[in-house]
Order: sequence, then C-alpha cells, then structure tokens
Amino acid sequence: MNRRVLVVGAILVLPLVWVLGMGLGKDPKRIESPLVGKPAPAFELVDLAGNTVRLEDLAGKPALINFWSTWCVPCVYEHPVLVAAARRYRDRVQFIGVIYQDEPTTIRAYLARSGAWGPSLIDPTGRTAIAFGVYGVPETFILDRSGTITAKYDGALDPATVDALLAEVL
Amino acid sequence: MATRGVGLGLALLALLLTSAPALVAQDSAAVELDPRLGVPDDAPLSGPALEALTQEISSLIRCPVCQGLSVADSPTTSAVAMQDEVRRLLAAGYSGDQVLVYFETSYGEFIRLEPKAQGFNLVVWIAPFAFLLIGAALVAMRVRSSRAQLADNASRSAPRSASQSQEESQDVDHDPHNEPERDPSLEAYRQRVREEVKP
Repeated sequence: MNRRVLVVGAILVLPLVWVLGMGLGKDPKRIESPLVGKPAPAFELVDLAGNTVRLEDLAGKPALINFWSTWCVPCVYEHPVLVAAARRYRDRVQFIGVIYQDEPTTIRAYLARSGAWGPSLIDPTGRTAIAFGVYGVPETFILDRSGTITAKYDGALDPATVDALLAEVL
Repeated sequence: MATRGVGLGLALLALLLTSAPALVAQDSAAVELDPRLGVPDDAPLSGPALEALTQEISSLIRCPVCQGLSVADSPTTSAVAMQDEVRRLLAAGYSGDQVLVYFETSYGEFIRLEPKAQGFNLVVWIAPFAFLLIGAALVAMRVRSSRAQLADNASRSAPRSASQSQEESQDVDHDPHNEPERDPSLEAYRQRVREEVKP
C-alpha cells in the first residue's frame, strides 16, 4: 500500500516539479517579445521639431528605437549611456526615441538640460507603444537594415549591452 | 446680436461637419498602417454595441503594468490607451478575435488573461478536473476497502455468540496466541505494556 501511494504521488507530483523547475533558470521580469525576428510594426510619428518619421524612413541602416519618458527613473540613468552611444555609432546606427506617456514640453525641457541623443517621436495615443508591445519604460528595440527586429531589451541600457545588441546588426 | 449668434453657431456646425470625415479618414488610415491587422472581418461598430464589445474584449486583455488585472478593470494610463485601441479597432470593423490576435502578436500570449485551450495550456484546463477525478477515485477505493474490511471482520465474528466474543476480548490481553489480527512488529511494545500493568 505504501509503495502504491509513493508511485501515485510521484506520478502526480513529478510533472508539477518539472514544470516549476523549468521556470527556475528564467528571469521572471523578462518577457520574450514575439516581435523578435519579425518586421517592426509600421509607424508614422512626428518628432519634437515637427518632422514626420516613418518606419520606412529607417530602412537601409540599423536602428535603435528606445521608448522612454522623463518620469521613469531607469530612463534618467540610461540617458547618458544613449547620448554616448549615439555619438559613438553616429554614422552607423540611427537612434530614435519614442516618448511614452509624457508631455512634449517636459521632454523639451529635459533634453535642453541633459542633451539629446536622437529625434524624440511623440506617440500621443500610445498606439505605437502598443504595436511594439511595450510593457513599461525603458524598452529598447534593435532593427537591422531591413527593418526586422533583432532584439528587445527591457530596462536601463549600459554601454556593454548597447555594444552587444548593436554588434548583431553591424 | 441674436443673428450673429445663430451665424456663429452655423459656422461652427459647418466646421464640425466638414472636419468629421477628415478625422474618420485619419483614423482609418492609422488602422491600415499596421499590415498585421489585415482586413476587418466584421462591419464597423458604434454606439452601445461598440461599448459593450470594447468592455468584453478589454476584460480579456491583461493590463501590462498591473498585477492580474484586465485592461477593462484598470484605471492606469497604459490600460486606458489599450482600451482606446480596442475600441478604435472594433469601431473600424475588426472582430474581437482579430483584436485579441493583434495584441498577442505585439505582446505575446501573456497578454491574454485566459490562456488559449490548446497545446501545453490544455494542462491548465484539464488538470483541475483530472485531479478531482483522481481524488474521487482514491476516496472511492479507500471507502470500498474499509467496507470490505468491516464486512470481513463482521463475517469472522458473526458465528460466535456475544458471550464468546466478550470472553475472547477479555482473554486477548492475557493470551498472545489469540491475537491473529495484530501487527507482529508491535509485539515487543505489547509485551512491555503487559509487564508494566502486571499486578
């Protein structure tokens, strides 16, 4: 009887342990984007200077698209990293910022203080953030020359991560 | 004065009427911007029907910045923007399924509050019933075996008279040979008890 209980218990419990064990190696904060390996969602947004930027305008050169806002603390930490990276990859990569739930006037004031690293596109309805599947800021998408998303990064970028992400598309 | 007021009102009305189609055109152009959406399956919706379906579909979409809340239940800016997007797509004639698939292509299956009943997800749908059945089967087995044991005990003691049984139950403490049902591994303890209670 005891042996039978043990066998039945093992049959019931082991699959559960296996399912839970599979998740142990994963970072619970990281959610894989289904967009990696797929063409980036089309967008047509206006930057702070009033210029229209479309996805197709980015074709031909790798791009780094960063969703950010001034109220997001990691974005503030990330900002100098992006300023430096934009300078370092000036002719090889296009750096595009998409403003997430923030006011253009606040962004203008912030950029005047901290420096800009690329055009900041206004996404008033949040539609572009939804199309890219943005959970929260900062989130960064790397696009290759053809406009395919090669990587998505959640959280504040550091210089080594920027280099590693861009190495794949250069 | 009154004529000027009416004139101003008419001018405003004319402005609204001329700008409304332009707004609609801009909106539909935005819908078509994303080729992942394809062609709408249904007719465009409006009014209470649109609101009802928006509420229904939004309640199936997970708010990305909340803990286990749907977009319909969350007042956050992200959830409101997502609900607006659901409303916009439904108004353009996209079906509820198309809207859910659209959100899924952007966010992954995590965005669905209810996992689809297919593939590995079937475990979530089937496991509760399977465990219930297994539990019921175990209880039934247990009940059956205790009933069988009771019946067996009853059949063994049935032919004997009540006085005999009473005698046996008195004797049983004194005569170890008269205890066939007892666990032999406990014999040492039983012996100790007998010695301790011996007058």
